[in-house]
Amino acid sequence: MLKILAVCGAGLGSSFACQMSAEAVLKDLGVDAKMDHTDISSVSGAQADIIIAAKNFEKQFERYTISCPTVFLERLVDKNEIREKLVPVLKELGEL
Amino acid sequence: MEKLILNENNVQLQIEAKNWEEAVRIGAEMLVSQGCAEKSYVEGIISAIKELGPYIIVADGLAMPHTRPECGATGIGCSLITLKEPVFFDGDKEPVRVLICFSAVDSESHLDILKMIVGFVEKGWIPEIAAMKDKQELFDFLNKNSNA
Repeated sequence: MLKILAVCGAGLGSSFACQMSAEAVLKDLGVDAKMDHTDISSVSGAQADIIIAAKNFEKQFERYTISCPTVFLERLVDKNEIREKLVPVLKELGEL
Repeated sequence: MEKLILNENNVQLQIEAKNWEEAVRIGAEMLVSQGCAEKSYVEGIISAIKELGPYIIVADGLAMPHTRPECGATGIGCSLITLKEPVFFDGDKEPVRVLICFSAVDSESHLDILKMIVGFVEKGWIPEIAAMKDKQELFDFLNKNSNA
């Protein structure tokens, strides 16, 4: 199953809230995925098909080797933004 | 659910704060006074925001200041404050008037607090909460609109 990881600074607040919003979006889209949340320092070794993170982490991500598509959000709980940015990635991966 | 989380002791509306740091400090100190966090947690939140950026602004007008449990969280708790005048965070253009601080002891058990926050955003309540004059108005509003 598709694995999506939400990432933030502490790995338990913003990313967890983002996970809730993204899960609602995925449900609306009818996409089956397993979501989890973590902090930025653990992202390097994490196994995921898609990563969702706050825009302000974009620079830090450049330091990591991440092999999956990454979606950067201005607002982690904005369902419209999540949908808008996640749909193209899901299409690319053949999930939509 | 909101009724269980927000109460007389952890809500303060129409507070005056000069800048984001003062606003965060007021909200986070309320976690300390509720016995959910040590003083170090307050400083931990502020340094995390300075170091990592304003990712705690999860929706327009709403910040949820928090940091790692090991920075001095002693229990699960939250506080809600609104500001008379909005503050701006470095690296973000949007004004913030609602701050919901919280403390967590692991990565899952504060689920209800986050559900409440996400619920407020999804229902579009943030501007409405920002405009409320006093606690009673907030509690009446939540009582009326809560499906719990």
